[in-house]
Amino acid sequence: MPDITSVISTLDERQPYIALKKAKKGGELACDNTSIAGSMSQRACVYSGARVALNPVTDAIHLVHGPIGCASYTWDIRGSLSSDKETFRTSFSTDMKELDVVFGGEKKLSNCIDELAELYNPPVIFVYSTCIVGIIGDDLQAVCKNATEKIGIPVIPVQSEGFKGTKSDGYKAACNALKELIGTKEPEIKSEYRINILGDYNVAGDVWLVKPLFEKMGIQVITSMTGDATANCISKAHGAQLNLVQCSGSMTYLAKWMEKKFDIPFKKISYFGLEDLSIALRTVAEFFGSEEMMNIAEDIIEQETNRIMPEIREIRTRLEGKTAAIYMGGAAKALTLIKGFRELGMEVVIIGTQTGKRADYKQISYRVKDGTVIVDDANPLELADLLKKQKADLMVAGVKERFLAYKLGVSFCDFNHDRVVEFEGYDGFLNFARELDTSVNSPVWKYIGSRIGDSYSGSKGAEGIKGPSERSERKNETEGERNNMQEINSITLQEESVA
Amino acid sequence: MSERNYTTVNPCIMCQPIGSVMAFKGIEDAMVLLHGSQGCSTYMRLHLAHHFREPVDIGSSSLSEKGAVYGGSENLKKALKNIIIRYDPKVIGVSTTCLAETIGDDIARIIREFREEGVEDERIIIPVPTPSYEDSHNSGYIKAVEAIVKTFTLGDSKKEIFNNKLNVVLSENISPEDIRELKYIFNSVVGNNSYILLPDISETFDAPMTGDLSKIPPGGTTHADIADMKNSAATIGLGITNDNKAVNYLGQTFDIPSQNLPLPIGLEYTDRILAALSNISGTEIPDEFQKERGRLIDTMVDSHKYVYGTKVAIYGDPNNVLGMLSLVLENGMHPILVVASSKSPGFAEQAMERVKQVKPDCDVTILEDVDFDTFNDAIRKAKPQMLIGNSNGKYIAKELNVPLIRFGFPIHDRVGAQRLLTLGYKGAMRMLDRITNTILEVRDTELAAKWSEPESYVPLSENSFHSAEG
Repeated sequence: MPDITSVISTLDERQPYIALKKAKKGGELACDNTSIAGSMSQRACVYSGARVALNPVTDAIHLVHGPIGCASYTWDIRGSLSSDKETFRTSFSTDMKELDVVFGGEKKLSNCIDELAELYNPPVIFVYSTCIVGIIGDDLQAVCKNATEKIGIPVIPVQSEGFKGTKSDGYKAACNALKELIGTKEPEIKSEYRINILGDYNVAGDVWLVKPLFEKMGIQVITSMTGDATANCISKAHGAQLNLVQCSGSMTYLAKWMEKKFDIPFKKISYFGLEDLSIALRTVAEFFGSEEMMNIAEDIIEQETNRIMPEIREIRTRLEGKTAAIYMGGAAKALTLIKGFRELGMEVVIIGTQTGKRADYKQISYRVKDGTVIVDDANPLELADLLKKQKADLMVAGVKERFLAYKLGVSFCDFNHDRVVEFEGYDGFLNFARELDTSVNSPVWKYIGSRIGDSYSGSKGAEGIKGPSERSERKNETEGERNNMQEINSITLQEESVA
Repeated sequence: MSERNYTTVNPCIMCQPIGSVMAFKGIEDAMVLLHGSQGCSTYMRLHLAHHFREPVDIGSSSLSEKGAVYGGSENLKKALKNIIIRYDPKVIGVSTTCLAETIGDDIARIIREFREEGVEDERIIIPVPTPSYEDSHNSGYIKAVEAIVKTFTLGDSKKEIFNNKLNVVLSENISPEDIRELKYIFNSVVGNNSYILLPDISETFDAPMTGDLSKIPPGGTTHADIADMKNSAATIGLGITNDNKAVNYLGQTFDIPSQNLPLPIGLEYTDRILAALSNISGTEIPDEFQKERGRLIDTMVDSHKYVYGTKVAIYGDPNNVLGMLSLVLENGMHPILVVASSKSPGFAEQAMERVKQVKPDCDVTILEDVDFDTFNDAIRKAKPQMLIGNSNGKYIAKELNVPLIRFGFPIHDRVGAQRLLTLGYKGAMRMLDRITNTILEVRDTELAAKWSEPESYVPLSENSFHSAEG
C-alpha cells in the first residue's frame, strides 16, 4: 500500500496525490478529482477526452462546434491509421465568431451540417460541443435530431463542453455517441466466434498486428473501436459474443452498456508485452471453450515468442538493470507497461497516470516494488523532481513530458499519439524493445551537462563526461526481492482473472 | 471541393490566446496563465512543444462547471497563488479564453481584488483579453505585446531621461534563430545595449541543454528594458501588414518617432533594415554586412539557373509570407499563389505592391483569411512546382507530389524549427540554398527516371523543373 508522506516538495494540496510504495504502511492515493487551478496539470479537457476516443472513426465527419482553436489544435494529431477512408484526418469547425456567440450558433451549425453532408456524403457526422456552446445554450441535441431527419444520415451530438468535468467524462461522451450507432445494422456472421476489439486506437497501425492473431484462431473481429473503425462496422458491433477491452479508462463504460443491452460480456486484456499478449489470446480461447482454438493460440504463442525472443534477449542484455518512469493518460497502459519493462529486465521507479481511478492505483501498487513512486495528475515540476529523485534512466510518456525528460538527460519513449511504430502484438513489442535500446543506449546522454574541456581534459578523454547510467548507480536488487516481486505478480494475475 | 459557405475545413489559424502565450514567453522571468478550462493550456503546450521541441509550461485556472456558473474569480485567484508558489515568476500574463469571456469574467478586476486581498506584492500581473472567437493567434500576439509595453511603461507619462536607445517591436512570431540573427544585426549596427528587442524568445524557446530543468527558462526581454522603452529615441516595428499596437502606443504616449519595416527576408528587405538602422543610429553599416551581402548575391548567382521561373505557392502568417514573397521575386521565381493565414489590414496591398516593383507582369493570386481547404483548391488550380510554408501544407504537397520547403509556424513534423534561419543576408542564403537544392534533388530523380527507361520516357510534365533552364 502506498505511503503518503511527502515524497517531494509540491503544493500542499497536491501531496495526497503522490505516494511511495512501501510493503507495510497503509494509506490511499488521492485520485479521480478535477485538477487544482494553477497546478500545471498535464491533463486536457472533456473535449479532448471525447476527441481522442472518437476521432479515429475513419469515415466519419468530426465537426467541432466552437471557436477555431479547438479544431486547430486537434487537427490530425492522433496518429491513428486507416485501412479505408481518411476523412477523420480532416479538421471541420463551425469557427464560431463573436456574432455566433451573441446570437447563438445553432443556425450556423445546422448550415455546416447540411453543407458537409452534401459535399462529403459521410455515413455519420459527429458534432462535438466545446466550452462556450455549453454557456450560450445552443441546443445541440435538437439541431442534430433535426439534421438527422432532414439529411437521412445519423448526426450525433458529442456532449463534450471542455469545462464540464474531466478527460474521463469526455471518454464517456464519446461512448455515448458510439451507442447511437451500435445495433443499427444487421451484422454479417462469418464465424461462430465473434469479438470486438475495444479501446484500441490503431496508433501507428497497432490493430493490424493484433487482429490477424485472432483471425488465425478462427475468430471474426466485427469491429475495432475506435481505431480503424468505420461507421458501418460500429453499427454491427452487437453481433459479437465477446468484447475485449484494452484501454479500460475510455471503453469500459461502453463495454458495460453493451453487456447490459446486448448481453455481450467483456474481458479486460492488453496486447502489449509477451505475457499480456499470451493472456489475451488464451483468455479468448478459454471464453469460447474450443480446444482447437486453444491449440492454435498455443501454437501462435510458441511460434511467435520463439521468433522474436533471440532479438529480445539480445536487447535485454543492454537494458538490464535500467530504471523506467511511466506517465500515461490511462491506467491500463501504465499497468501493462510494468510487465513489459520487466520482460526487458527494467524496473519501474515512477508510475503515474492522468486519469487513473482508485481500483487502478490499487492494481498498480500490487505490481510495483517497494520504493516506487505512484502519482496521480502530476505536473512538470513534480515529474522533474521525481525523475531526479528516483534516478530514472528512461521515461515513457507523451509529447509534453518528452522535452522535460530530455532536459534532465533522461532518455524517452513516446507511447502516445506521436508514435510512428506499432507497439502492440509480437512485432510491436520488438519495436518497443528496439526503441528503448535506441534511446537508452544512445551516446548523446553522456554529453548532457558537460562543458567544453570535459571530453579533452588531459588523458582522461571521454571519461571525463558522466552519462546518466553512471549517475544513477543503483544497487542490484537481491534474490529475495526478485522472488517477492514474482509472488506479487502472480497474486495480481489471479485477481485479474477474477475481475 | 465545390462551393463551401459555412464550415471551416482545416484551419490556417490558431486562436488568440496562443499568440499571447508566444509573446509572454519572450519576457524575462514570466509565466503565462490562461483563464479557462484545463484543455486550452494543455493543447497550446502540446502545439508549442511540437514546434519548438522544448518543455512549455502554461498555467490554467482549470475552470469547472461551478466556476462557469458562478464566475471564475476563485479559480483564477487560486491559480495565480499556486503559480506564484511553484514558479515564483516576476511577471504573470493572464489571458482569457472563449469560456472566460463568454461567462463575462473581468480579469482586470479579479487581478485587482487578488492584490487587495494582500497576497500579492510587487509582482507584475498583466491581463490580456484574448477571446478565441475573435481574430487569430496573430492578433493575440500583438495585443499581448501592447499590454506588456503599456504595463511596464505606466506611471510617469513624461520621459525621464532620454536613453538614446532604439526600440524594436515584433508584430509576429519568428524563430529563436531568427531572433539571434536580428540581435547580431542590431549589435553590429546599433551597438550592444543600444536597442531593446521585444519579445525575445531566442533563449526561452531554445534553451541550451544544461542537464537541469529551469522552472522558467532564462532569457527574454528584461523588465528594466521594457520599462525603459518609453525613454527611447526611436522605435522600429518589425512587420508591416499588421497594426503594431505597441509601436503606436509608444509613439502616441511618449512621442517616440517610429517606423514599421518588413521582416528582413531576402536581399532588399534586409537592405532596408540596415539602411534604416544606419540612418537612425548615424553609424556606417559595418563592412561585414557588405561582405555578407556579396555572398548572398553570389548565392543568388549560383542558384539563378535552377530557380528561375519556378512556380511557388507561399502561405503562412502575413509578415512571414510577405518577406518570403520578396525573396522569391528577387530570385526570378514565380509566386503564383500567395496566402496569408489571417486577415490583416495591409497584407494584400503590400504583397501586390512588392509584386509590381519586381515583376509587374507576374500572374499572382493573393488570398487571406482562408482555410486550408480553400487554399488547396487554389493550389490545384495554380499548379505550383513548390510550396513554401508550414507543416500543414504537407497533405496537399503529397497529393500533388511537389516539394514543401518548411517555413513559419507550426512545423511539427520535422526537427529544427527553432533553429530555422530566414532573416538577414545569412537567412536569405540559407533559404535560397534549401530551395535550390530541393529543386536539384527533384531534377536528379527526374533525370534518373528519364535515362533508366528511355523507351517509356514521357516528356516531363508541366509540373517538373526542367523548364527552368528553358
